[in-house]
Amino acid sequence: MQTQTDNIAVFRNVSIDYPLKKYTIRAVTDVNFELKRGKITALVGESGSGKTTLASSLIRCISEPGRVAAGEILFRGKNKEGEIEEIRVDKLSDKEMRAFRWNKVSMVFQAAQSALNPVMTVRQQFFETLDAHEAKLPKGEKKQKSGDREAKEQKCRDLMEYVKLDADRVLASYPHELSGGMKQRVMIAFALLLDPELIILDEPTTALDVITQNYIFNLLRKINRERGISMLLMTHDISVVAKFADYMGVMYGGRLMEYGSVANVFKYREHPYTAGLIGATPSIVGDIADMKPIKGSPPDLMNLPQGCIFSPRCPKCRDICLTAEPPTREFADGGRGKCYFYREGEHADTD
Amino acid sequence: MAQETKENKWNEFLSAFARVMREFGSSLLRGLKKVFSNGKTIVGFSILAFFILVAIFGPMIFPYDSNTDMANSYLMPSLKHPFGTDWLGRDVFRQVIAGTGSVLEIAFYSAIFTVALGTVLGIVSGYLGGWVDKIIMSITNIFLSIPSFPIYLLLAAIVTINTPVSLAVIISIWSWAGLCRSIRVQIMSLKERDFIQICTVMHMSKAHIIFKELMPNVFSYIAINFVMAMRNAIMASVGIMLVGLAAYDPTNWGAIINAARTKGLMNVKNIYILLYPLVCIIVFQIATLVLANGLDETLNPRLKVL
Amino acid sequence: MNESMNPVGAATPPGKSKIKKFFGVCGRFFQKYSYFFAKIGISLVTLALSIIALFFLLRMIPGDIVELYALKLQNQQGITFDRAYELAAGLLNYDPNENVFQAFVRYMGGLFRGELGNSYLETGVSANSLIATRLPWTLFISSVSLFISFFIGIAVGGFVAQKRKGVADKVASGYIAVSGSVPDYLIALILVIVFAYQLKWFPAQNNYDAFKVTPGFNLPFILNVLYYAFLPILSYTIVQTGNWILHMRGSCIGVLGEDYILAARARGLSEGLIRRKYMKKNALLPLITQFGVSFGALFGGATLMESIFNYPGIGLEISNRIVNKDYMVVQGLIFFSAAMVILVNLVVDLIYPLVDPRVRKG
Repeated sequence: MQTQTDNIAVFRNVSIDYPLKKYTIRAVTDVNFELKRGKITALVGESGSGKTTLASSLIRCISEPGRVAAGEILFRGKNKEGEIEEIRVDKLSDKEMRAFRWNKVSMVFQAAQSALNPVMTVRQQFFETLDAHEAKLPKGEKKQKSGDREAKEQKCRDLMEYVKLDADRVLASYPHELSGGMKQRVMIAFALLLDPELIILDEPTTALDVITQNYIFNLLRKINRERGISMLLMTHDISVVAKFADYMGVMYGGRLMEYGSVANVFKYREHPYTAGLIGATPSIVGDIADMKPIKGSPPDLMNLPQGCIFSPRCPKCRDICLTAEPPTREFADGGRGKCYFYREGEHADTD
Repeated sequence: MAQETKENKWNEFLSAFARVMREFGSSLLRGLKKVFSNGKTIVGFSILAFFILVAIFGPMIFPYDSNTDMANSYLMPSLKHPFGTDWLGRDVFRQVIAGTGSVLEIAFYSAIFTVALGTVLGIVSGYLGGWVDKIIMSITNIFLSIPSFPIYLLLAAIVTINTPVSLAVIISIWSWAGLCRSIRVQIMSLKERDFIQICTVMHMSKAHIIFKELMPNVFSYIAINFVMAMRNAIMASVGIMLVGLAAYDPTNWGAIINAARTKGLMNVKNIYILLYPLVCIIVFQIATLVLANGLDETLNPRLKVL
Repeated sequence: MNESMNPVGAATPPGKSKIKKFFGVCGRFFQKYSYFFAKIGISLVTLALSIIALFFLLRMIPGDIVELYALKLQNQQGITFDRAYELAAGLLNYDPNENVFQAFVRYMGGLFRGELGNSYLETGVSANSLIATRLPWTLFISSVSLFISFFIGIAVGGFVAQKRKGVADKVASGYIAVSGSVPDYLIALILVIVFAYQLKWFPAQNNYDAFKVTPGFNLPFILNVLYYAFLPILSYTIVQTGNWILHMRGSCIGVLGEDYILAARARGLSEGLIRRKYMKKNALLPLITQFGVSFGALFGGATLMESIFNYPGIGLEISNRIVNKDYMVVQGLIFFSAAMVILVNLVVDLIYPLVDPRVRKG
């Protein structure tokens, strides 16, 4: 078992609801998930699997009208003295939350195209964020955090250069004047603005071409290694995970189906859904005929199947799978799986 | 032999026609079911249906007698005269009922003309583009720039209005332009979508693309705008009557209001007379708005996301 | 251009390069401002087409206006019909023998000289003089109410957009439905009945009390004008406010669904800042155009509204003169309002890029 401080963020039995007019949709159900400090953790799943909802709950930015219905969300960040301090994120007041956001956890959005205010220049938006967080700090710390205007300007320029952008031009630009790749780099620089400890990356490369994608991932990895910033990467592209992440969780229908180190997950391919995802990805070396898409469609959250929610699409489905939801099996190496047959041999040993 | 093939063809055509009609019928039924699942639509439609029933059966049950009866002028509401009588002793209740048909006719005809003109020109302009688009758009710009109400009045003065159709024509001539413009924008964005692009690549006929592919996609928009056009027509027609320029039908609600107004609002009794058609217009307009909102909610997919 | 055309320069390479340079500059100039030129071009075309449309619309009028006027002159002055007809044609600037094109050319000539059309009912009265005397009144009541309703509308609309499903939103929706359903002139009629005829709080007619006050810059006059304008302004405002609330709410809801609002929240910006700099600023952009359109439409006056209050604005003038068949003036007044609509829309189009950076491409 790892020590407590290894994890920078912990989701404990988290459920998230969307109360609608007539019924309530449970987008995330009883998820246990943790993010390792200094590592890149990936969260994989189809659209609608609840991965974005789960990740946004960390900065309480779930889209309306979503609410955390049950569970605890913990963040173990460093305080001013550099000691590790545990925060109950779901218990923060609105004001504390605002100070917490971006300062500790920042985010790179899926649609960088539309994540910037179209009527303000990049510089205005950077400064505005710095100002907002400066105002929240006690008076004595103002200087220390961002200082006066020149210091802020210098900070923005440094970041722009770090992501290899022309600082003069980009800072003075309006969002529509930048290309998709440039905007995404601006967003990454933006995420680094307050030196956060964790960056959430929500499908950061979906709208970009392959070459730019590669460039962005290399940049992100560099940030991770050089600055020691932990990352949570959400994606539906499992090949990205293999290349880029250290740990991974697989979500399906609002449940965490599998969790473990990337190496282990790919090695065992124990969970039928993960195996399906890996099998459905074209590889450059393999034949296209080897590609096997997962049959069926993602579950309807308002009308979930009986038993294991993956059972209607599962190639290994047996009678027991149709009776009740399988429990999550945990293993000494940190791996977890939600399946009746997950790592069967080892499981029998530990029993 | 030739006869037989002709007959065969005829039969084939008949069966194809029957199939199309059956398909149309079932899809219509499904559509109606979907449309009438919305509370607003039901409320709006019920009120509208009530007015239509009054327009059809009202005059049969309560025929209007336009003869004057000075002895009974300005009577207060009673069982015999539920809304009282006017300055010439005529029953106001029966006037309002007689006017319902006239108001509805104008609204209905103008909506048909407006929507037909706006839709056809909008689709043609948006789909064909190029010079046709430029010409239609410059015509549309004229109609949008010149204020409509003075033109209604001018046309009403030039053309002698004596039927609901002529009034409807005058109203619709100057009200299609806005609809035309927004339909054009919709068609232009639809044109960029994949399924239309595929049709173009497959060399389908323009008629097919317009009627089979584009029309169904703007149909809901047209349906909502039909209701909105009815609203505008009523506003315009009552307005024209208020100025006294379409005095062909003294029982039209607008004409009743105008007559009462010109008799002098210092007299409270005239205000009583004017109240009933006023309330009718307001109820009718709210009903159409509610109906349009209801239709918008069920037919407009963009709203569902919100 | 001239310089480069001189014989020495034209023959030598430097001259050629000058020509090239000149055209290059011209080209770049037009390219840079192509947005503006396109807008101006469209406006001019629309204006020209509107003139043509109005001209031919007026030609459709049955019954010879000159004949009508001649009959009137004949009765007034006791002259022969032929003489009266000649006189009438002269006064109306109308020659019965000329064809449509000559008439059109002459009409255009009048427009270029700034003559919009003379009245045949009253001598010395023209569309120009009516605009000078009536437009201020129309603009006064309509622009005051436009500004009031616009500001109320954006404040309320922005507020209810954030609090959907709340009581305020329900009240606002109800207000929008009712005020949008009752034609504006009927609201005016109701107000006149209630506040002028029944309660007698406000006057029912006219723009000021000519017996009590003397026009000019004095306090009693201004107060009297405001007192008389109260009901017209109130009814305009009642009608338009609902409309602006509706537009602002819709626009705000659209903006609130945008990613940059979520992103701003994630950045830890306060809700107040997000409301001001993100929601309102972006939601107001489409409303600016609409405000321009509404403002342009003011110059035509609200015909029915003004006739219900008997308020001496452009709209009342148009409806009275249509009833009295004074078509030349009507033509001029309608042309004027169309021209103002086009002009104001053009101005809005030209200044819009200053507000919205996305259009500022050049």
